[in-house]
Amino acid sequence: MSYSTFNRKHFDSTKEPMFFGENVNVARYDQQKHPIFEKLIEKQLSFFWRPEEVDLSTDRKDFQRLEAHEQHIFLSNLKYQTLLDSVQGRSPNVAFLPIVSLPELETWIETWSFSETIHSRSYTHIIRNIVNDPTKIFDDIVTNEEITKRADSVSIYYDRLIEMVNIYNTMGTGTFNIPGKGDIKISMPALKKALYLTIASVNVLEAIRFYVSFACSFGFAERTLMEGNAKIIKLIARDEALHLTGTQHMLNLMASGKDDPEMAIIATECKDEMRDIFIEAAEQEKEWANYLFKDGSMIGLNAQILGQYVEYITNVRMQAVGLEPHFATKNNPIPWINAWLVSDNVQVAPQEAEISSYLVGQTDNSLDDSDFDDFDL
Amino acid sequence: MTSTSNPKTPIQDAPVHRVLLGKKQILVTENEPLLVQLERAGIPVEYQCREGYCSSCSIKLLRGQVIYPFEPLAWVQSGYLLACCAIVKSDIEIAFFD
Repeated sequence: MSYSTFNRKHFDSTKEPMFFGENVNVARYDQQKHPIFEKLIEKQLSFFWRPEEVDLSTDRKDFQRLEAHEQHIFLSNLKYQTLLDSVQGRSPNVAFLPIVSLPELETWIETWSFSETIHSRSYTHIIRNIVNDPTKIFDDIVTNEEITKRADSVSIYYDRLIEMVNIYNTMGTGTFNIPGKGDIKISMPALKKALYLTIASVNVLEAIRFYVSFACSFGFAERTLMEGNAKIIKLIARDEALHLTGTQHMLNLMASGKDDPEMAIIATECKDEMRDIFIEAAEQEKEWANYLFKDGSMIGLNAQILGQYVEYITNVRMQAVGLEPHFATKNNPIPWINAWLVSDNVQVAPQEAEISSYLVGQTDNSLDDSDFDDFDL
Repeated sequence: MTSTSNPKTPIQDAPVHRVLLGKKQILVTENEPLLVQLERAGIPVEYQCREGYCSSCSIKLLRGQVIYPFEPLAWVQSGYLLACCAIVKSDIEIAFFD
């Protein structure tokens, strides 16, 4: 029922389910029901990076030399990614924090969402560097029909869950007449179903929806164009790979019944709907690829190849959450993308301008007095 | 790929196991994870992080045993293995998408 920022009840949080148990009180990590979320936090913190560390001065020149249809591809992808991370920078907090019941999961949600705000800031960094008037680009995100169509799909499950939880937190369970919306039935199974489908749709967002943009960014970089952008996208892709593991764990823990037996029943009931969420997203991404390439392709990539890649990556992601792969595409049509997506600490793509791991969190321990020779107070 | 360009020399008496993939068979050791050994044998495997958190290199394990020197962060579905960090401990049979 009503949310408390510091629950006064005395209870053992390791006996609580991930969601819809007691509100978290003490943020303690010495005992954990699901230690995986603490491990994800540690990994995410070790990934910390700032967009300003990546120099984009060459990208500006590259962008001006791109053909008009290539600029359209580049900017449209940036707009779409800006939309996705605008949603992800706030929604896990707004939707999941009021209902989470484990301290390690609560902190993972906050850490996860925070890293998305870094992605949003990096889009501003990129856009500011390549165009003179960023406002035109940002304004188009809320008016461009192709983008807003996608905004509906990525926010619908979040918005429904948030609405239901708001009612539940003020009124409890029952059927309530909400002005303008009619009767809304709030029950624990209905809340849990809305939660499960929201997490599935977030998994799809991070595991599939980003990948058309990623492929295009790396497609440019394969031609040694927009390499600063590619370096930022590489860092974003590394974060997103970790985030999707977070939602895969939540979905699989729920389906296993180990966390909350009632959730296992709901997961079984929702299987077809979850499958549809994956397939619908894949179809929308294929449409997006058609929109990107409407005025012309780029070397090495076209709408058909990208469509096959979407089908392939959707199969991989469906399998990871226990669904049978849906599409016929069994092989990656653009295997070169993996060399860009890899987050090894070594330079895997020799064509990279600089090694991204050199840029982040570096300290030099081998200093001696001579290093300060040209330093005056 | 850096990880395949620098193969470790197999230790003389290290156990060698057979990996069956459809009609193909390759030999692997316990010295390195399965992924790099499959790649060296010319078998392309989907991958991303190569350190056990993205689950992209998840492959069906039809029979046999693998272990993980470090527990991977990714969820490993039952009946699957994570190629980037799995060490093969017996003859195994694997499969990609059906």
